[in-house]
Parts: sequence; C-alpha cells; structure tokens
Amino acid sequence: MSNKNSNVWIGDKDLTRDESFIAISEQEFADSSLLETLGNEEVAESAQGNRRDFLKFLGFGLGAATIAAGCDIPVKRALPYVVKPEEIIPGVANYYASTFINGSDYAPILVKTREARPIKIDGNAEMGQGGSSARAQASVLDLYDTNRYTKPQLKNGEAWDALSWADLDQSVMAKLATASNIRILTNTIMSPTTQAAVDAFVAKYPSTKVVTHDAVSYSGILDANQSDFGDRSIPGYHFDKADVIVGFDADFLGTWVSPTEFNQQYAVGRQVKDVTNPKISKHIQVESGMSLTGSNADNRILVKPSAMGEAIAYLYNKLVGGSASTKGLTDRARKALDKTAAALSEAKGKSLVVSGSNNPAEQMLVNGINNALGNYGSTIDFGSAYLNRAGSDGDVASLVSEMKSGSVDALIVMGTNPAYSHAAKATFADAMSKVATKISLAYAKDETTALCDMIAPVHHSLESWGDVQARRGSITMVQPTIQPLFNTRQKEASLMAWAGSSSTDMYETMQTVWKNTAFPLQSKYASFSSFWNASLHDGGVNVGGGSAASYTGNASAALSSISKSASSELEISFFEPVSIGNGQYSNNPWLQEMPDPVTRTSWGNYLAVPVSFDGHNKMVGMNGLEDGDIVELTVGGKTVTVPVIKQFGQMPGTVSLALGYGRTVSGPAGLDIGVDVNDCITVDNGYAQYYNNSASISGKVGTEKEYSCVQYHHTYGVTTLKDGVEINADEEALGMAYGLSGYQGALTDRSVIYHSRVDDLKDNLDNLHHKREHAQYLNDQQYYGGFDEAYEMGHHWGMHIDLNACTGCGACTVACMAENNIPVVGKREVSRHHEMSWLRIDRYYYGDIENPRAVYQPMMCQHCDNAPCENVCPVNATNHSSEGLNQMTYNRCIGTRYCANNCPYKVRRFNWLDYTNADLFPANQPSLTNNDDSTPYGADNLTRMVLNPDVTVRSRGVIEKCSFCVQRIQEGKLTAKTEGRQLRDGDVKSACMTVCPTGAITFGDQNDKNSLLAKKLASPLNYIALEEINVRSSVNYTMKVNNHDESLDA
Amino acid sequence: MIHNHLKMKTLIAILGLFFAFNLTAQVDAKAGKTLFRNYCAQCHNKDMKSDLTGPALGGAQERWGDDEALYSWIRNSQAMIQAGHPRAVELWNEWKPTIMTAYPDLTDDQIGSVLAYVNGTADGTLNPKPVGGAVVAVAEEESSNSLWYWLLFGMLGGLALILLRVIGNLDQLNAEKEGRPYQKKSLLQSITSSGLVSILIFALVLLAGYTTVNNAMNLGRQQGYQPDQPIAFSHATHAGLHKIDCQYCHDGARRSKHAVIPATNTCMNCHAAIKVGSEHGTAELSKIYASSGWDPNTGTYIEGYDEMSQEDIKAIFTKWITENYKNEKEVDVLDESAMEEIEGQWNNIVTSLTNEQKKKVQGPIEWTRVHNLPDHVYFNHSQHVTAGKVECKTCHGAVEEMDVLKQDAPLSMGWCINCHRQTEVQFNENDYYKDYAKYHEEIQSGERDKVTVADIGGLECQKCHY
Repeated sequence: MSNKNSNVWIGDKDLTRDESFIAISEQEFADSSLLETLGNEEVAESAQGNRRDFLKFLGFGLGAATIAAGCDIPVKRALPYVVKPEEIIPGVANYYASTFINGSDYAPILVKTREARPIKIDGNAEMGQGGSSARAQASVLDLYDTNRYTKPQLKNGEAWDALSWADLDQSVMAKLATASNIRILTNTIMSPTTQAAVDAFVAKYPSTKVVTHDAVSYSGILDANQSDFGDRSIPGYHFDKADVIVGFDADFLGTWVSPTEFNQQYAVGRQVKDVTNPKISKHIQVESGMSLTGSNADNRILVKPSAMGEAIAYLYNKLVGGSASTKGLTDRARKALDKTAAALSEAKGKSLVVSGSNNPAEQMLVNGINNALGNYGSTIDFGSAYLNRAGSDGDVASLVSEMKSGSVDALIVMGTNPAYSHAAKATFADAMSKVATKISLAYAKDETTALCDMIAPVHHSLESWGDVQARRGSITMVQPTIQPLFNTRQKEASLMAWAGSSSTDMYETMQTVWKNTAFPLQSKYASFSSFWNASLHDGGVNVGGGSAASYTGNASAALSSISKSASSELEISFFEPVSIGNGQYSNNPWLQEMPDPVTRTSWGNYLAVPVSFDGHNKMVGMNGLEDGDIVELTVGGKTVTVPVIKQFGQMPGTVSLALGYGRTVSGPAGLDIGVDVNDCITVDNGYAQYYNNSASISGKVGTEKEYSCVQYHHTYGVTTLKDGVEINADEEALGMAYGLSGYQGALTDRSVIYHSRVDDLKDNLDNLHHKREHAQYLNDQQYYGGFDEAYEMGHHWGMHIDLNACTGCGACTVACMAENNIPVVGKREVSRHHEMSWLRIDRYYYGDIENPRAVYQPMMCQHCDNAPCENVCPVNATNHSSEGLNQMTYNRCIGTRYCANNCPYKVRRFNWLDYTNADLFPANQPSLTNNDDSTPYGADNLTRMVLNPDVTVRSRGVIEKCSFCVQRIQEGKLTAKTEGRQLRDGDVKSACMTVCPTGAITFGDQNDKNSLLAKKLASPLNYIALEEINVRSSVNYTMKVNNHDESLDA
Repeated sequence: MIHNHLKMKTLIAILGLFFAFNLTAQVDAKAGKTLFRNYCAQCHNKDMKSDLTGPALGGAQERWGDDEALYSWIRNSQAMIQAGHPRAVELWNEWKPTIMTAYPDLTDDQIGSVLAYVNGTADGTLNPKPVGGAVVAVAEEESSNSLWYWLLFGMLGGLALILLRVIGNLDQLNAEKEGRPYQKKSLLQSITSSGLVSILIFALVLLAGYTTVNNAMNLGRQQGYQPDQPIAFSHATHAGLHKIDCQYCHDGARRSKHAVIPATNTCMNCHAAIKVGSEHGTAELSKIYASSGWDPNTGTYIEGYDEMSQEDIKAIFTKWITENYKNEKEVDVLDESAMEEIEGQWNNIVTSLTNEQKKKVQGPIEWTRVHNLPDHVYFNHSQHVTAGKVECKTCHGAVEEMDVLKQDAPLSMGWCINCHRQTEVQFNENDYYKDYAKYHEEIQSGERDKVTVADIGGLECQKCHY
C-alpha cells in the first residue's frame, strides 16, 4: 500500500536512522551543559573563584533580593489625554484600511492600532482576498526599527551631520538648479500619487530621467510582453482556473510576482471537492533546486539552470512544431517534457505555463506556448495585469555608463538599493562616485545610501498617505495610522518640495490626484467627498479592468535567442528567499528568524547541495558534505565560504543559494549574516540571469558553529529500526517492553502524515478509516473515560488544518509571533534548539528519494482534552479549561519543563534566557544578537511599541506555547456578552487563521454545529495526528492528496 | 370539576398577565436607567432631588402635567421656548443661559422609560435602599470581636497564672506532707524554666513563620494605598456631594478594559462654568486650565498655547488668581502676604504640572495610579460593568466619601476568586448564555437555583492570565 508512513521522512538523518539524530529526538531538549545552556561561557570560563566566593555571592544575592523585596513598590503614573480624540478609547483596538507596500510587494491590509500605535497587520478582504504574507506581517516591526533614519543628514567627510529640512531643501535645490542632467533611480512606481510627484519634479527639472530598478529583475518577461502584446506588464494569472499548471523555475507560491494571490488561487484547484469522484489540478514544476513551489508540485522535472531555455524551447517545439538544440536536457527530462506537452494539449484553454526566466526570448516562447494552448482570455488576462514590476535592466545599464562618463550631475535614489542588489554592483558604485550630487530618499541604512551625500529620510508606509495600483482595475489607499515617529518626510513631499510646489501636504495632493484619476472612472458616487470617504473606509476602489491585449508575437523567431546550455560540471542557481527577499527585509528579525519553508534554515543562507544514496545506509551529500559543513564556493572568480545543507530534490550537478544575505551596510539583524552573491549573477545580452554555470565547491573546510537549521528540532513521530523491527525512536528511551501495543505511551504505529495519489484515494481513504478505527479501538481499551460531557455546553474550541490548502508559505508563523509577543532569539539560540515559535511548519518528504514531494504540516499545541503535559506539572501551572483549552499560566510556572518532556507533539517552548528584558534583574547571559549588543532583538523601548498589550511578555524560566489565541477568544466572548447575544461563528479567529492566504486553517467552536469548522470537520479526509495515543487532540488535519504521475519520473 | 378547571385557567391567565405587566414595567425603568445615564446624568442629578447643571427631575412629569408638551420639550427645548409655551418660557427664565441638549431621536417609549426611572427613583419605589444601620452594626461587631479576643486572651493568661500558683501550692503541700524540704520557686524561676522557655521559643518561631508568610503574600499589594495627587481632586465633592455618575468621567469602564482617567477636556465640560472651587478657590482648578490652555479671564482657549513661554502663562494665571483674591477678600491693594500667597499658588501649579521630563506646564496631568495590577493579570472593566452589571463600589468602595482616593480592596487573587465564587452571572437576562443549555435545563427543573461566575469557568487560570 502506498500509504505506509515509513515512506514519509523529515530529512536524510531520519531516512538513514542516524544514531546521533535518534539520540537527540529521544530527548525533549538538546543535551548540552548547563553552563552552555544558561550562561555566558566566555565570562564563566575566565572567572576566578572558589567555594567560599560562591557562598559569598549566594549570601549577597539572597540579602539583596530580601532588601529589594522590602523596598517600596514603585509609584506608577497615569497620563490621560488633554483633549481625547473621539475615535480613540484606551484599551480598545481601532482598525484602519491601508496598503502594505515595500518595493514590489504589496497587500491590501487592515491595520490594528492600540492607543494610536499600529501593532498588527492583516489582509483586507474588502480589497483583496483576505490573508497576507509573512513579509506583510513583519512590516509593522520595521516601523519601530531602531536603525531608521530619524532626521535629514548631510555627508561631511566620513561623518553625517544633521540639518533641518529647510537647510536640506535649500542645498538640494541649489545643487539641482545648476544640474544639467538629473536622474531619479527608483523601484517600480505603482502609485498614481508618487507618479504625480515625480511628474511635478520632472516638469521643474526637464533634464530629469526616471530609471527603474527592481531588487530582482523582471525585465525579461516585461520586454517579451512589450514585443508580443505591446504591453509592458505582467498579465493577471488564474491558477484556480487551470487544470494543468507548468512552471519553469517560477516560484509563484513563494516569491514570483504576487505570491499571496497565487497561493489563494492555487489552493482552489488543489481541493478535493468530492471524494467519490476526486479531481484536482496537475502541477508540474521544471527546476534544478527545490523551491517552495516545486516542493508542492505533483511532479518535478530536473533541468539545470543553463538548460532551462532549452526545456522551454523543447516544450514549445512539441506543442507548436520546430526544432532546437536540446543537448543540455537529460533523456529523462525530455521524456517527461513529452508527457507534459501531452497533458497540456489535453487541457487547452484550461492550462497555464509560467516561467521565472529573465531572458525575453524564453518568455516569448512561453507566450507562444500559452497562445497555442488558448490560455489568453481564460487563465491569463491583461485586463487585470500586474503593474508591480517595471524595472529595466537596459535602463540601469545605460544609467551606469552615463554616470561613468560623468554626464550625470545629480542622482536621486529612492526605494531601491542597486549598490547591493545589482549584478554589476562594483561598477555601479564606481560609476556613482563620478556623480556630483547624490541624494538618497531612504528609510534605513543601506549600501546605496552610504554612497550618497545627502539623506532625505522617508516615512514608513504606516505613517504615510499614498495609493497603490498594483494591478489594473483597482487602486488601494495608504493612510497613516500613527503620527510620524521621527523627523522624516514622505518621499513624494520631498520631490514636490524640491520641485517648488506650493503645497507639499500629501493629503491634499492625493485628493487632487484621485479627483482627476480614480473618481471619473466610477459611477457609484456622485460627489467626490462621498467617493473619497467610501474608498478610505474600504481601503481603495475597484475601477474596472483595462482592455485585453492581443497576441501578435512570433515565438519561433525567439528560438535562436534562448540561453545556451553549458557543459560545466557544476552550475549554481540563485533565488530570492521567501522571507527576506533580495535584501529588502534583511534587517527584520522576525523574517530572519522565520525558517525557510524548504531548507528550514534561518539566519543566513545555506548552499543547497544534492544528496545521493550510497547504496548501503547513507545519504551522502555532494563531495561527501554534511549539513553545517563550511565549504569554499567559487563562482566566476569570486570565492566565498558558506555552510551547506543537503537538499533532497536538488539536481545532481547543480547547487543553489539564496540571495539577500551578506549585507554590508544595514541594521544589526541583517549585517554580516550569510554571504552576498548578487555579484555572481551573470548578465546575458543585458539581462540579469539568476544562475552561473562556472561554479565549483571545495571539500569541507570547517564546520559552522551556529548551525541554525530547525529541521531536526522538535521532531516527533520518528521511527527507527531495532533488531529489524520498526519502532518509535522517541519512545524507545522509555524502555517499554514490546507487545504493549495499544496502551498509552507504548510502541504503536505512528500516524503523523497521510497522503495519497488522487487516483488511489478510495483505497487510501479505506486504509485511513481503518487506521482511525483501530486507533479508536486501542483508545477504548484504556481506563480513561473521556469526559466528553464536560464540553457539552458553552464552547469547545477546535481547529482544522487542510494540508491540501497549506503550501508552507510561513505567513502563519510570523503572524503568531506578532500576535503573541513571541521573542526573537537570534542565530546562536536557534542553533541550540531554543527557537520560541509557538507555531512551526513541519516539512515532510515523501515519494521518490531522489526527487521527493513535500507535505507541510503546521504544528502547534493540539489542546488535547486528555493532555499528558497537564498531569505532570508539579505546580498545576498547566491545566484544562471547561472550553477545552490547554491553559498555560506563566506566573505559576516554575520551569521544571516536565510538561515539554511529556508533550507528544513537541510544541512547548522554554524561556532558557531572558529574551525580552522582562526580568527584574538583568541576568548574566550571553549576548543574543549578532553584534554582541546587550539588548536582545525587540527588547528596546522603541521596538516594544509593537507588543500586543493583551498578551503577557514572558520572563526567563517559564514554559510557553500556543494558547489558541485566548486573548481573541476572550475578546470575542466579551463582545457577544456586551451586545447580549450568542457567540457567532467568525467572532473568534486565531491569528494564524486570519493570515492564511489559502484558508488552510479554520478555528472555531466545535459545539457550534453550523460553523465553518463543523463543515470542515465533516470531511472524510480528516485525521488526528497520533490519534492512537488517546490524548484527544482538538486539531484535525486532512490527508494530503496529490496528482503525481509516475510515468513522468521514469 | 370542569368549572374548577376553568377557574384555575383564568386565575393562571390573570396571574400571568399581572406578572407580564409587572415585568414590562420593570424592564422599562431598567432601560430608563441606562438611558438616563447616557443622556441625562451629565446635567441632572441622579438622586432626582437636588439641582445640578440642570434642575432636579423628581416630579417633573407632575409639574408639566402635559406629557405631550414634556416629550417635545425633551426632544427640542429651544423650539418650544421660541414657540412660547408658558412652562417652557418659565423654565428658560429660571435657568438661562443653560440650554438643554436636544434629543430629537428619542422615541416615546424611551422617554417613557426615562420618566418611569425618574419617578421611581424620586419616590423611592425603585430599588429601595438597604437600611444603612445594618452595615454599621456589622462594622461595630467586627471591632468588638477583637476586643473579645483580647479579653479572652487576658482571662486565659490569668487562669494560667492561677493554675501555676495552684500547682506550686499543691507541690508545697505534698512536700510538707512527705517531709521533704521544699524550696518555693520564685516567679523568675518559673518564667525562666526550660519548659516554658522552649514553649515560648516554639511559639515565637511559629509566629515568625506565620508573619513572614503573610507578609510575603502581601508583598506588592497595596490595600489602603492613598497617594497624593497632583490636583487635590475630591471624589467626595464630585461623586458624593454633586452625585455625578462615575461613568460620566470614567467613560472607559463600560466599553474598555481601562476605566480611563478622564481627559482634561472632560473636566472642562463643567469647569468652563465653575471656575472657582468651593474648597480651594483658584488654587486647584487653575491647574486644569494651565494644563489645557484655557484662559479663565476671558473664558476662551488660548491660541498657540503649546509654544507659549512659561512667563506669559504665568502672567495669565497670576492675573486670574489676583483678581479672584481681590474679589474674595474684598481688597483693592495687595499687601506682601497676599503677594506671597499668590506666588505660592502659582508655584504649586508649576510643581504639580511639571517633572524632570516635562518642563512645561502645558500638556497632560501626571496622576498617580492608585489601582495597579501585575502585568500578568488581564482585567477588563467592561466585562464587569457592562456584561456583569457589577456596581463600581463593589471593588472601589465608598469612593463618594473619599477626598483623596484610596484603594479599598486588596486586589489580591484570593479576593477576585472569592467574588467569582459568589457572584451570579446575568444568566437569563443575557442571550450570550443560551449556549449553556444544560444549566438552563437544570434551572427549569429546579435542580439548580443560580449560576455563578465559577460555574461557567470563572476560576480557570486563562480567564485572567494569558
């Protein structure tokens, strides 16, 4: 049967039953010395002292504590308003519709503010589909970044002098007045209001040219669409309408164009609506390294980066006719592409081919394929095209040569950082030094601003007025939700001030822009003020799509311009990580600590190397490398040392590495973390190609001290072999005798992940139901009676997680950190298994060992109604509520950690150190940050403004875990009570449910039989993780259903 | 038989009607109370007997005689005055220039409810007050209790001494009888005997342990805490004498977790008119004017107050204080002591409104928090005030008698828990509790007579700690 749990594995150590790994998974906590766990090794090792000193300190400590306890209680002050704003009630949250915008990323959002400070961001279902991304979630933390520019500055030698806005404007305008060649280098401008400000500037200084540079280039697809459709934009895609999806190196679930929307659409097609006649979409991904999208695909076709063009051309030729070289493709890939072509032809008009290539010829071929399949107008349309990318590699290249020749007098940089993210950044920096006046409209420290001589610091988008037109057909608004924290100014206001505009008030400017642009496009509102108010309330306005462009391209002509495949031994591909982008988010500790969904590494980039089976009992990495080994990587003349991680599904002969790390000028979270490989990007025909075919790696040259991959942390349900019999690794330590199968804590067949091919679903469902019945039978043999009647009235909270909808994007993990004040612990602590996340996403591989697929399983406290953790707490700090919640009471916890030890799901976290500066006495502990700063991440007074005031900040020495967002439960209940009505479904939503773009997580009251949760709980695909151990978990998962086609692997 | 049955039915029907009627009347007055609090209590005294900003409402309906006119007066008084309604004009002459706020949206039913509440409160038929004597008696009993303990302690001590004496005498007699020499123990010897000393030490250790544990438990608790405040604001004057509803100022209590210390502009609602206090004259009230930038000389807000220099501000308020001083003392020329007093008043204003961080008198007033809970406790006022209908004084005590506010309750966890054990929830009144079907059944069947907070999980950790 294909559904044996033994063909699910979490990594190579699990697969090979690595002894050191089994030893670790037998224990709740990584075994290290007390000193290493709690103390500051350097200090402790150099300390001189003896027993008498110890007693002295002990005595002094006791005495000091006694005296401190006897002191007066500190006087607390309360400051009321002088004039209280009508809309603010202290203690009650306000929500404002706005838009998250950073570079090319955007999301319509609802901003939650408490006492006029933003603390949480969620998707705005009024303007988008609801749901948001990890990046949108984390953007609220950037607002309280201690490394923001707080005032205008002027370079004076190496130092920066502060000056007033008036003085800055004066000197800028004096410089601009004499400049005969001005350039604005910006990220893609999606905002009509920003465009208006730029237009005003250009009108005043007609020599100005605007050059657009995106952190990751999309020039190829834009130029291809310009030539094929006369429309330089990226069309709207409808993954929900496609029965067959083929992706060529396009990580559309992770980073490509608009992943939040694509996730939502993709999940629609992956749902099994009727188990008796199951149907889901088919997704084939062509790539070399394992991307988030590839790991979700039904089949992956391995093609090395330099041969991607050939693969596209091959598919084009199969579908349309013609011939091209295919020497870079393996036989296997060719055969698989034949089958892919067949599958696509069967789904004409209901298929979709996308490519992440930045070669316009390859994108033209993709356009030709989609055109031949009749996908334009059905799964692709230009009416709602994306406008969030407009960068041009060619324009930037000509800017560089202009600057080099000295013909540019003034350069204004805003929203982009080419000195870090440009492929030829050394040339760029060199050329920039020839420009007389360099002004940066920057938010925080970056490499490009460091090369400028004036800084006009900008607001955070949460402090700004603005608008975003990321797609044709809708404009969303940005409204301020807090007074500017520092002496900054919106970039639009700066441009307008320098343009000599009479008013630089952004509210007025925006209204003028909207009166002339959006207002005439709609007919719902007659007066502008009612239109404005409605748009402000909703967060934007839908104004109807544009016209659909028609295909006029000639793909066959492009066949000769595709990238040539190389025959080098090793190729490396570079990718934008889901978390920190190409460096735009690298100073955000939440995103740095969020593990990469696929490699599950945090705080740094790890070189993914292929693994192969040695024929005996070992999965060996390339060159015999092991996880965490440091190697020297040489790419086209540049050598960097980088740690490696063995990656299943990485094509032999290729490696891959994330961009965005190794920042040299940045706030402390991003500084010197990982290595920067942006300058290893090759440029072909003027277009940046995110791979390099002249790469080589050395053997092991060292071992990373702080190896921060979380994949083997907190694992459960691991099996191992003992005398040829499969047993549970983590319970082997109990020394229970065999034959006790069925009793709680004994050795049973573990049920963590179930999966099935859609064609075998009936058989596998029978198997699942049989297993569930057996588990129930085993549970019935126990003395535990159930006490179900205790939850019959009132509420009984529960959750359902649809693994077919979950793509592993990680938005929920960041949302959980934001909602529940979860501390960031830093790289060193992560490497010691001390990450604090309440919600983790476990990655399981299944299928073919060389080219597996993945299941992502969000795992948090299961709120067991027969919870093993509760029975072992000596102080009753964790116990059960009448509403089925497994309660954790921090003020009662004394830190024995028995509960964590007894948790079958490994979801309890211990505060080993003072991660939040919450303790009364500053503790003797090692620095938690990368730069030996004594204040941990997020513990300074500015960043603390992001804390949720309804959730306790935990101190050292207590256990914490998922509370099912009890603060939201209590708030929802209270609202119902004050309104004198019954609780309605949807009154209480956990933070993870709210953020999920695919609706994979459903939270609710199990006693409400008409709720969305009840509907989901009725699905026959459901199961409970570790059901057989009778802990009565409150979380249901669904069997993962895939559309794998074995013939493609042959 | 049938006849009897019919009789029964009629009786039940009549009884039912009676109850139903009674019920609607009750609900009316109850709704009226809420409406009164929301709309009327800002100006009308809630005892319905004495005047405040507006006249006492007790008997208003009788005085008007004509309900229709009264209703339209409530909806828009100014229109009636202009129309020349005799009663309206009479009231206007008595109370002008105070204008009654118009409430055009109030329905007849709502006004009826308010009047029902007003009448009920005025004649005391609604919520008759418990006899005050009982409370006093309890208090007296408590103090006399401890007196009894001391008496008992003294008597037992005396008894012990007497018994010691008796034992001594008996020993002596025994010795004499047996012809043994007997050395009578002196009192000192008896006291320093090893037996007594060890008993004493044991008792001391017990007592010390008991005191330590008790005091340790009290660490961080502040029952009776009564700090000085920057303004000598008296709750006794505002809530006691003038009977201003608590929630008029603490308007967060009904809708937020915080009861909220009122913003200065809430004070100004009344104190734009009442500029000189009965107790402190200009000394205290000038502080709120100096904080919010209101010039009492002209009765207007000062433009650009935030940027004004301290000297200019001083000039404005010294002028105000001086003029009031002259009026009050009926003097035209100020002597040295008067100058000193005026200077002192100003200095007091400055010290009250400034501190090390805040050098200017402008801006918020820094009050000292009286009721503090640890950070790991979640407490929500609206849960108790709006959902639970708990009276403010249940936790805050007789605030209307406090000149300087004092923490009345211990605010300890035991105290919270105890109340949650005893307090009944609004089980039948609030539809939220329909989810608790089993309890409703038990109440119906008579198995259960009440549902306390504890019964619906009010003692569980994560109701307050998360």
